[in-house]
Amino acid sequence: MITAESLTDYIRRAIPGAKVSVTDRTGAMDHFSIRVVSDLFKGKNLLDRHRLIYNALDEPMKDGRIHAVEIKAETTDGS
Amino acid sequence: MSDPIMQEIQDEIKKHKILIYGKGTKAMPMCGFTRETMQFFDRYGYPYEIIDVLPNPAKREALTKMTNWPTLPKVFIDGRFYGDTDVLEPMEKKGELEPLLKEAFKNG
Repeated sequence: MITAESLTDYIRRAIPGAKVSVTDRTGAMDHFSIRVVSDLFKGKNLLDRHRLIYNALDEPMKDGRIHAVEIKAETTDGS
Repeated sequence: MSDPIMQEIQDEIKKHKILIYGKGTKAMPMCGFTRETMQFFDRYGYPYEIIDVLPNPAKREALTKMTNWPTLPKVFIDGRFYGDTDVLEPMEKKGELEPLLKEAFKNG
């Protein structure tokens, strides 16, 4: 279990200035759907964008606070 | 390629045009994401294989290192890693997936 704020902090530490929206998928605050918007994704394919996010969330995923996460990663112009 | 686990993985991704490393089996997927991935490919009608890595932590770890991707399921198409449905769905929307699958299956 993790708060949306804490999850957002983890992502912003790795991707400064990112816009992060977090949706709790099950009500248990450990299965999330997250949307991250940042221009740091420009020129990166989806695999690498998602790797950035997984790396940012490494700690709470390893210690079990996050069980599963569905990811959307976009740039500000929607690509 | 002396590592037997890596050899096994290389053989598997060569053998199956669409391969999902996941949790559970086709008959009994043990994870919602694995089930979603099966449903995703069911719509295309191409054959796919699921390999359950839950009973094999060493293989799971080897796959994570190889792909630099921490989660399951992991999807390989024609020997290449494509992440999971979070990657495949946007590819589908952009019309990139159908030609990729067609190409993969063009020789049978």
